[in-house]
Amino acid sequence: MATLLLIGSTLVGLGFSLKKDRNLTLKTLKSARKMMGGMLSDILGILLLIGLMLAWLPPHVIQKYVGEASGFLALLMAGFFGTITLIPAFVAFPLIGSLKDNGAGIMTLTAFLTTLTMVGFITFPLEKKTFGFKFAFVRNSLSFIFALIIAFLVGGIMS
Amino acid sequence: MIERIKRNNLGHVILKNKILTFACLAYLLSGFVAMDKISVAIKGTSYYMIEMVQILPAVFILTGLIQTWVPTKTIVKYFGEKSGIKGFFIAFLIGSFSAGPIYAAFPVCRTLLKKGANRRNIMIILSTWAVVKFPMLINEAKFMGFEYMITRWLVTLVGILFMSLVLGLLVKEKDMVLSDQRPRILKSKCIMCKKCVKEYPRHFTFENDRIYVLNLETFTEDHLMVCPVGAITL
Repeated sequence: MATLLLIGSTLVGLGFSLKKDRNLTLKTLKSARKMMGGMLSDILGILLLIGLMLAWLPPHVIQKYVGEASGFLALLMAGFFGTITLIPAFVAFPLIGSLKDNGAGIMTLTAFLTTLTMVGFITFPLEKKTFGFKFAFVRNSLSFIFALIIAFLVGGIMS
Repeated sequence: MIERIKRNNLGHVILKNKILTFACLAYLLSGFVAMDKISVAIKGTSYYMIEMVQILPAVFILTGLIQTWVPTKTIVKYFGEKSGIKGFFIAFLIGSFSAGPIYAAFPVCRTLLKKGANRRNIMIILSTWAVVKFPMLINEAKFMGFEYMITRWLVTLVGILFMSLVLGLLVKEKDMVLSDQRPRILKSKCIMCKKCVKEYPRHFTFENDRIYVLNLETFTEDHLMVCPVGAITL
């Protein structure tokens, strides 16, 4: 369903774009291919790691540590892991999707996803340089706290 | 000398493919410990691989189309000192129709700050850019389901609004630092598409397999934004 929606909206967009400016559209396609090429190795790497992780961690282990009933500590740890990890959000979805299919809780996964994309430990120096220490510090701290709140609410609504 | 260049190249390849390298090492190690895990792992991987291959080209084409027809610098042009509901709405749009990771948003936000945008709206752009952008939502629905995607989208949106209000109270105007810095090209991010060279031949040049920045005195934020992957930074 989501796949069809995605492909459908892409085709419609592509049709309009071709009608409006053929050359520009071809250029766009070329840059899309380049972008994909640039990320292919990361995508392959993450997918390989997902397979390996699922091979080593049986569902009952996943459920025990990051499952629905794993509590606040698991939430905090998930948020912390999201903060220090730097993988494209784009490949984060198959990762958390695979964990969900194998017993992980919505709350912990949401915490991981939100801090992964919103809080950046590795990019902090760059952010500090761009906006100043205070803004970067407050933004990242607030994002971490809100990521936990968001995770708590989404987990609560979904269950 | 030749040895050193070779080593550097290998290092570069490893650095550029660090996740894949790590995955290969993990497989190697796993193979030593328990060979049977490898086949299970490959089977699991191929399932998600098939799912990914179905959407991969569409996601990148859609992202490319958004960049071409809704270029960030056009929206930036219409974003002045607006605040309140209208500012929130535009900030939200900039973040939603964006591409690239959060650090690609830094130079864009710098430009906006210089144009007088307030820090609350910058917070909104950075946050929406990070967690709720459009191509990402479809991907999310595919792997986590529509119900989850919509719930998370709504809750996160409200969260972002609150966050920006709190930030506005904690960080004052004078805390924002906007010093001018020298532009740099992040080698690990650059995909060598040479879009910058084509669009601004006066400011970028391609030599010896590298892109160099020229004419710094007339370098503006527009030049930072030309990069589709946010590899040009200050």
